[in-house]
Amino acid sequence: MSLFVEPRRTDPVSSSIATSSSSSQAPMLELNKITCGYQPEVPTVRDLSLHLQPGNILCLLGPSGCGKTTTLRAIAGFERISAGEIHLQGQVLASASFHLPPEQRRVGMVFQEYALFPHMSVEDNVAFGLYHWQPSDRKARVQNLLDLVGLQGLEHRFPHELSGGQQQRVAIARALAPKPLMLLLDEPFSNLDPDMTIKMRKELYRVLRQTQTTAILVTHDHEEAFAMADHVAVMQDGILVQCDTPEGIYQQPSCSFVAEFIGQANTIPGIINNGQIETEIGTFPNQSDFHSETHVLVMIRPIDIQFTPSESGSGRIESRQFQGSQTLYGIRLSSGQLIHCCMLPIPVYNIETSVIIHVTTSQHAIIFPQPALS
Amino acid sequence: MVRHTQLTPLSLVGVSIAALLTFPLLYVTYAAFTGDLSQAGNLWNTRLPELLTNTISLAMGVSLATLTLGVSTAWIITRYQFWGRAFWDWGFVLPLAIPSFVLAYVYTYLLDTAGPVEQTWQWLTNSEAHIPSPYSFTGALVVMTLNTFPYVYLLARAAFQNFNLSFEEAAQATGATRRETFWRVSLPLIRPALVASMFLVVLYVVSDFGAVSLLRFQTFTYAIYQQITGRFDYQSAALLSLLLVGFALVFLFAERWFRKQSRFYQTSGRVRTATPKPCSMTRVLAINLSFLVIFIAAFGLPVFLLIQWTLTAWTNGEVGTSFGTYIGNSVLLSATAATAALVLGTPLAYLASRIPSKLHVACLQGAYIGYVLPGPVAALALLMLFTDMIPILYGTIFVLILAYLIHYLPAGLQAMESALQQVNPNLEEAARNLGAKGIRTFMQITFPLVRKGFSAAWLLMFLLCMKELPATLLLRPIGFDTLAVRIWLEASEELYQLAAPPALLIVLLTIPAVFLLSKKNWQAG
Repeated sequence: MSLFVEPRRTDPVSSSIATSSSSSQAPMLELNKITCGYQPEVPTVRDLSLHLQPGNILCLLGPSGCGKTTTLRAIAGFERISAGEIHLQGQVLASASFHLPPEQRRVGMVFQEYALFPHMSVEDNVAFGLYHWQPSDRKARVQNLLDLVGLQGLEHRFPHELSGGQQQRVAIARALAPKPLMLLLDEPFSNLDPDMTIKMRKELYRVLRQTQTTAILVTHDHEEAFAMADHVAVMQDGILVQCDTPEGIYQQPSCSFVAEFIGQANTIPGIINNGQIETEIGTFPNQSDFHSETHVLVMIRPIDIQFTPSESGSGRIESRQFQGSQTLYGIRLSSGQLIHCCMLPIPVYNIETSVIIHVTTSQHAIIFPQPALS
Repeated sequence: MVRHTQLTPLSLVGVSIAALLTFPLLYVTYAAFTGDLSQAGNLWNTRLPELLTNTISLAMGVSLATLTLGVSTAWIITRYQFWGRAFWDWGFVLPLAIPSFVLAYVYTYLLDTAGPVEQTWQWLTNSEAHIPSPYSFTGALVVMTLNTFPYVYLLARAAFQNFNLSFEEAAQATGATRRETFWRVSLPLIRPALVASMFLVVLYVVSDFGAVSLLRFQTFTYAIYQQITGRFDYQSAALLSLLLVGFALVFLFAERWFRKQSRFYQTSGRVRTATPKPCSMTRVLAINLSFLVIFIAAFGLPVFLLIQWTLTAWTNGEVGTSFGTYIGNSVLLSATAATAALVLGTPLAYLASRIPSKLHVACLQGAYIGYVLPGPVAALALLMLFTDMIPILYGTIFVLILAYLIHYLPAGLQAMESALQQVNPNLEEAARNLGAKGIRTFMQITFPLVRKGFSAAWLLMFLLCMKELPATLLLRPIGFDTLAVRIWLEASEELYQLAAPPALLIVLLTIPAVFLLSKKNWQAG
């Protein structure tokens, strides 16, 4: 059995993480160890560093209250930072002693609830940021953007006369109109129903790529992040825990938090013995050079575990959840450990059936040190 | 870690405004305790026992009477279906359109010795019996009750309308009769609304000057006025003022405290509300008759008399060009004060709602000081401040407008605050994000969206200023009379016809604002 085990990373916070490892290009946006959010109702962000290359899309992913929106608002200039620096195209936007007002930053933002001006028509909303333009240029630019987002003919409507998807298109067009250096999107799909979300996700992706816009998108939905992003930055409690490509995040999560946040994962306790990791469901090679007798956790995705019914099996089917193209089973092992595995929907196995567990591929098994038992 | 203190220029503006509004009270406090305090002991021995007894007993009496009147009318209107219900529903709000001193002056006529009520009573009973004089506790009680019961009515009505019927049904399911259910379940459950309305009434009664002065009933406000105008004894007036302010503050904090407590009374989730029940013919008649008596006493008869007197004055040619001058003076003062209040209130309300730092919230709280400064007290504070420090401005309309501003800004500020809170701050951030500076953001985004609320605030402050009496009496430039001042001066001389035209005008102007008020959601807590 050949196993790939990701070595445990060094503390992800202390090192700055570049989103594009092999680029000599100057980054569009650079966050250098920023700390912010000392108002009572604002989640704090600590020592966060990020680079973003021109034209790239980055997703800030994390549970609510993790500081992802605070980070976005700090870039836009709505929150002050108390340490670190924010650079855009080499220009300082903010530092501990300097705060460029939001209106001078040239950073566009699409708000979670769109924040369309309710007393202005679609046209006036989009033209709001083109205040200093020549009237003829302004008109052409507005038309251009409405074409881009597919809102031709709705120029004179008011926000309350538009559907959720149309409102979002206006918000995107309005943010792009003054040609910002980059675009920030705060949970852009959270106000749409699921069908519309998928449609708008594709639509937004097309617009961003077509306009070669550098963008940061905040979301708590990992599927959204995977679908949209060149790079995903996962945050937890105000700290950036991992920043990588979607594939990298999925296959090599840096800690059990990331592993569990981006999809269902089984974590099984094991112990290092004779250079191998012994667990209840099999042995794995010790590629992370853990010392003997160390307690570790092995993470395996449900897709990598199968079972076969057997009278002598030590597992017992406890739950079954039909998910369409697959069925998710919960298997209770004799030790009390619960294992989830994905099987084809046919045949259907009954609850209480005794089964034997197989790990089909260990490609995706990840080993973490086990937290000290209290 | 050092927390950011963002002392922007706008913050400094806010601090200056709050200082302007609170400084007079601070100065009057300082002035009360400097100088010869022997007067204070004298005051304590001679006037204070009477003033305390009168003020407290009037407040208690009016609260009890308004609670009875307000709750019973609200209960009947929300629970019974009867002919005339739609009219009474808004009819009981109308008495709020009559300023207390107008009602008082009508009642001095009605209840006077050999007045219409006494004559009718003597004719009915065929006796020489006298009715209580209007210049008494009874007179003040009747006038203040009729003038303020609509507040209780409004709050109780809202409480009964939002009342969860399941509580009553649960009580009846255990075998309680309707009467028991009302006393043991319904009434205790609307207690937050009752307490809130009682605080409102008490605050109104202790700070009223117009009615008690015309009825010559010695309460704090009247005594303060007399100390200033009759004896020029500012220090005693200041001491009395501080007692009154303390009294009002206790009530204000008690109300805030109670409001916090009362959150527990509110039910969450789906609420089934009562549908009005139809009732028998005799009941319909009885309800309409008793409602008519209340309505006539509180609104119908006073307005009828005002119209009659106005017509007499008109035909006698007693409504001269000076009437136009009084209207002009009133409108000039009120419009200036309301506009100034709007301009000064905007930064305070804006800062407190957008950047609610301790400093900004404190500034806003400071602006609410007018709530606990009855008219004579606000006037005294400015009088002492300006005669001592800037005598050149004393006796100009500037001081008067400042008094209006301090006194009535709180009323407008509430409307402005709620208007600003309804504007999502994201809209302003979006504008900033699109390159708009602070001023353009305010003019193009915030202001158009709060315009309605701000207009209502302006109108409310304008009308309150039109009715303002004690501060105007004390601070107006010589010969500069307003409608309210004319009403009070003529009524003091019992020249009923001459007082009627300005009184009628104020009542008519106030009616639309009263409807605005009645539509507001009057929920306690």
